[in-house]
Amino acid sequence: MSLILWETDFSAALAKAKGSGLPIYQDFWFDG
Amino acid sequence: MNTGPYSEPTVAAFLHEQFLPVRTECFWDNPTEPMRRFDVKWTPTFLIHDPEGKEHHRFVGYVPTDDLLAHLWLGRAKILYDSDRHAEAIPLFETVLSRHPAAGAAPEAAFLRGVAGFKSSHDPKELRRAYDRLVAKYPQSEWARRADPYSAIPL
Repeated sequence: MSLILWETDFSAALAKAKGSGLPIYQDFWFDG
Repeated sequence: MNTGPYSEPTVAAFLHEQFLPVRTECFWDNPTEPMRRFDVKWTPTFLIHDPEGKEHHRFVGYVPTDDLLAHLWLGRAKILYDSDRHAEAIPLFETVLSRHPAAGAAPEAAFLRGVAGFKSSHDPKELRRAYDRLVAKYPQSEWARRADPYSAIPL
């Protein structure tokens, strides 16, 4: 299984995105 | 956490190379601030934001690997398209169509590829070619119907 290292804090991801120029992929999920 | 399409090496690699991947857990009995902020009403909901945090693409519901990859390419293309970087967006729309022709996002990519072609060249034939492509490849799609007015443009 491949490993995706997910950010869970959108604000932290946004700061990284602004620094790197990468877009953000955000998955809203529910552990039902 | 990395099940379904996320267990695919191609998906994992693409997400890490081309995006900052974020997962946001939802709680329906007490909606969180991100759920309210992004108006999330069902899960899974997927958003693609530009590096400034502006949303450019959204899709709802489970998607298999091919559809997910197509949405990722389409999202990247729409960031450029929405920024009026049409010539840069065109190759990404074409990537959706060449690599994921059967994906659900493909008809939208075909439509926007035509519009981006027109906006970058001012040649209305780009719109007619988009119509022809949609009618040939995706005749049942809503995007083919949206392109119907372009059928009157002569080639």
